Amino acid sequence: MICSRRLLFAATWLLATIGCAAELKHDLYVCANLSPQGGGVMGRGGPVRSGLFRSEDRETFTHLGPHHIRTFSVTHDPSDPARLYIALLDGILRTPDRGQTFRIVTSWDMTEAKSISVDPHRPEHVYAGIPDGIAVSHDRGQTWTRMNAGIRRAYTESILVDRTKAGRVLAGTELGIYLSEDGARTWRLVQATDKVTYALRQSPHDPRVFLATTASNGAFRSTDRGLTWQRLPSVPGDRTLHNIEFDPRQPRRLAYCGWGVGVQISQDDGATWQDRTAGLPKREIWRIAIDPDLPDRLYAGPYQEALYASDDFGRTWRALTMGRGTFFDLVFIPRK
Amino acid sequence: MKTFIALVFPWLIAAAVAQPSFTAPPPPTAPVEDAAMRRDQYLARRMEALRWRAAQANPAEPAKLGLADIAAKLALREDAAVCSSRIVELMKTPSADMFWMFPVTCISYLGRDQLTAEAKAAIREAWRTYYPLRGDTENHWVMYYTTLHLMADLWPDEGGDRWFNGKSSAEISAESRAWLLHWMDLTTTIGQGEYDCTHYLGEYAIPMLYLSTWARDPEMRQRGRMMLDWVFADFAVETLHGTYIGSHARTDDTTVLEKWNALSSYFAWQLLGNCPAPAAYGGWGVYFAAVADHYDLPEVIYRIGTDRAGAYTHTERKRTRHRWRNSDERNAPVYKTSYITPDYALGSDQGGLLQPIQQHSWDLTWAVPDPRGVHNTIFSVQPFFGPDELTMYFTEMPDYMPASVTFQGKPTYISESKLLGGSPYEQIFQQDDTLITLSDIPDSAPWKQINGFFSKDLTALEEDASGWIFAQGGRAYIAYRPLAPYEWRPLEKGGKRLLSPHAKNGTILQAAAARDFASWEEFKAKVRALPLTITLAPTPRVAFTTLRGKKIEVAYGTAPRVDGRVIDYAKEWKLFAGPYLNAEVGGRRLTLTHGRLKRVLDFNALRITDEIVP
Repeated sequence: MICSRRLLFAATWLLATIGCAAELKHDLYVCANLSPQGGGVMGRGGPVRSGLFRSEDRETFTHLGPHHIRTFSVTHDPSDPARLYIALLDGILRTPDRGQTFRIVTSWDMTEAKSISVDPHRPEHVYAGIPDGIAVSHDRGQTWTRMNAGIRRAYTESILVDRTKAGRVLAGTELGIYLSEDGARTWRLVQATDKVTYALRQSPHDPRVFLATTASNGAFRSTDRGLTWQRLPSVPGDRTLHNIEFDPRQPRRLAYCGWGVGVQISQDDGATWQDRTAGLPKREIWRIAIDPDLPDRLYAGPYQEALYASDDFGRTWRALTMGRGTFFDLVFIPRK
Repeated sequence: MKTFIALVFPWLIAAAVAQPSFTAPPPPTAPVEDAAMRRDQYLARRMEALRWRAAQANPAEPAKLGLADIAAKLALREDAAVCSSRIVELMKTPSADMFWMFPVTCISYLGRDQLTAEAKAAIREAWRTYYPLRGDTENHWVMYYTTLHLMADLWPDEGGDRWFNGKSSAEISAESRAWLLHWMDLTTTIGQGEYDCTHYLGEYAIPMLYLSTWARDPEMRQRGRMMLDWVFADFAVETLHGTYIGSHARTDDTTVLEKWNALSSYFAWQLLGNCPAPAAYGGWGVYFAAVADHYDLPEVIYRIGTDRAGAYTHTERKRTRHRWRNSDERNAPVYKTSYITPDYALGSDQGGLLQPIQQHSWDLTWAVPDPRGVHNTIFSVQPFFGPDELTMYFTEMPDYMPASVTFQGKPTYISESKLLGGSPYEQIFQQDDTLITLSDIPDSAPWKQINGFFSKDLTALEEDASGWIFAQGGRAYIAYRPLAPYEWRPLEKGGKRLLSPHAKNGTILQAAAARDFASWEEFKAKVRALPLTITLAPTPRVAFTTLRGKKIEVAYGTAPRVDGRVIDYAKEWKLFAGPYLNAEVGGRRLTLTHGRLKRVLDFNALRITDEIVP
């Protein structure tokens, strides 16, 4: 009986996958360190390649570029999705051709970039969150300037350009969320926090709405384009929240994860949350992502485990085949 | 550290087989007066290290040749054909990032007129296809940028398609030069970040030797030479018969007890000749030895390390490594004090979280005839660990790090019995050979206790009714006073741990030379008679008059006072101050003196000036 159920499940899943494959408009990029516990150390080699991976079918993953155990985030140029910017230990890595060739475009003075965002209205403007501030390029990453005037404790983990207006940028720093409306020339604190803001997201449904997750203050929401923020009372603040996501297909559906938090989903715009960790090997979840192309497809990266996928929005999970490790980021980039 | 262990461990095993200076009786510690003889001995030690390393490799089994074997053989100009063929193989599987870069740089330069075209081509191709990480610490960056600079010199005028990072030789050269100048400027103005490390000394010295030897630009060669002198002077002045004493930004669980057992002792052996070489020459030592004939240790540094007229106090200002979070200071100042005598040395920093994980804030080290296997040290720590420490110095996510650190060659990091690491709840003050620590530990701390290390090699240990613990190590008399009740715990490596499980706590240590007392009993009686007031609540406070007659008053959270004068570290601590090394903060200029010898390293003018003072 069990065997039959498994076969039925597999067949259903296969049909669903094949049925959906033609509809995939994005590639899934994964930033991962696939070293075993203790293996992801500077100065130590290993047989398993880490760094940037691309999946065109959501099942198989191709490694791109250098083996790199500290590849934190990736984004693309909206005017040319083949041009990718990768935030990693060495600064910013850029590829003009979907990962055929690479170049480090920052110099010695910008290290350990954590996040990167391109201004959709001015795609030559690129912003990166780095441990000592915010790096800005006005020439598609060719040259960089540090621009964090007005930010105390400039450690910046997350950065996001408001897609509604050129030069309007939000930064998640050590002690709060900062807003710039002049392309990072000046910044002002719009929400203080006790510790780092690890993720910033803009709603795909309503560009006035933003979400943020922090290390010690839970989650925040803004409904006025990041000018003011309100704590989400339904999200506890005693754990480090790694990221939060809007469902691109269902406006009221959200998900967040964190250390010891597991996977939490909301169907009512964050008023209430359900735990969707059952089926995952642990509650220490580094990253989650919601697939823009596959209905109810949710991804979760438990620490030092496989990358998991769910096709019923977290009710059941299965491990994907790209190995175990730390999944720093999961990003969907349009194919065209 | 894990990399270090993985790469070096096989050598340590091999070292036990035969290594003359490791197995022979310890060398004499008296300075060699004749300059020519001194140089001959230095070169002989270099050859010993190279020959030993080369002998570990069996030419009949070229598949077993490692990068260090090849470097030694090329330095000795032997077996170039075997080395070449092995290089072709090794370049197919590069790994270890900057720890790969500097051995391969060494081999590339040594092999310029020895390696086959195929071997050179294999090396060239590896620097195109293998992507070494830049790293996240000062020692990583010194290795990374020095070797990039040298390899761009070796392969100039090449485009970005020929390099792993996509940058041209000219871009690499400019970037690496800029970083190296930035680092040298920091070091010569506010001090080194990973200061006085028992292992990582090598990660600074070896790249600087290469830069001074091989850089095409005479300015970079001069800078390399001057930094090498700077690093070695900084080392020599805080050694006791070659052993690195006192406070270190980084050491490890072995060296913190067996003080001599470190890569730094390779440099003492190689440069000063006054201690045994560590097993396998400390591992990386061979990469210095390979090029050591290009360096001539200035006599003034040699004498600072080997020829002391008597006891001296030496103070330094260093800096923390980069603080990314949890601090408003990018590089907070570190204030070091060392008091060094022929019989013992006491060294310390001011306490606090100055470095992540491997900080060693203070110890008393006593001189021993043969340091091998000897735990000739005593110290205490307030054991601490936590995400706030790690996120201060690393840019990683907070929660996974403490446990993860223990998988990365630092197994005791989250252990209650740890003897390594700093604490935000510990303040330290040293005056001459007296030291007082105070701790006021909140409930949120992982452990409310102090761990004291009591060596198996103490020749006397008495718990006195007065509250003092009297001990003798070598020719040093030691009085150790826990400020709160304690109990004993055995230690796996010998000796015992003083566990004082109280939040308001501290340690007083008074050292003295046995020769200054008629007897052990007299020492104890004099210590018992010293004026001492201990107050633990509401905050720990001590008033103590030392054997040298100085009245020290310390209170947790306030500046210390000596004979009524408030000590102002920020104003009083220079970059270096003492009888041998002197430099102002921000000065970029170090004056080294010993007797009539004087050398000035002036980074403002990029000039070395030697003088015989009349």
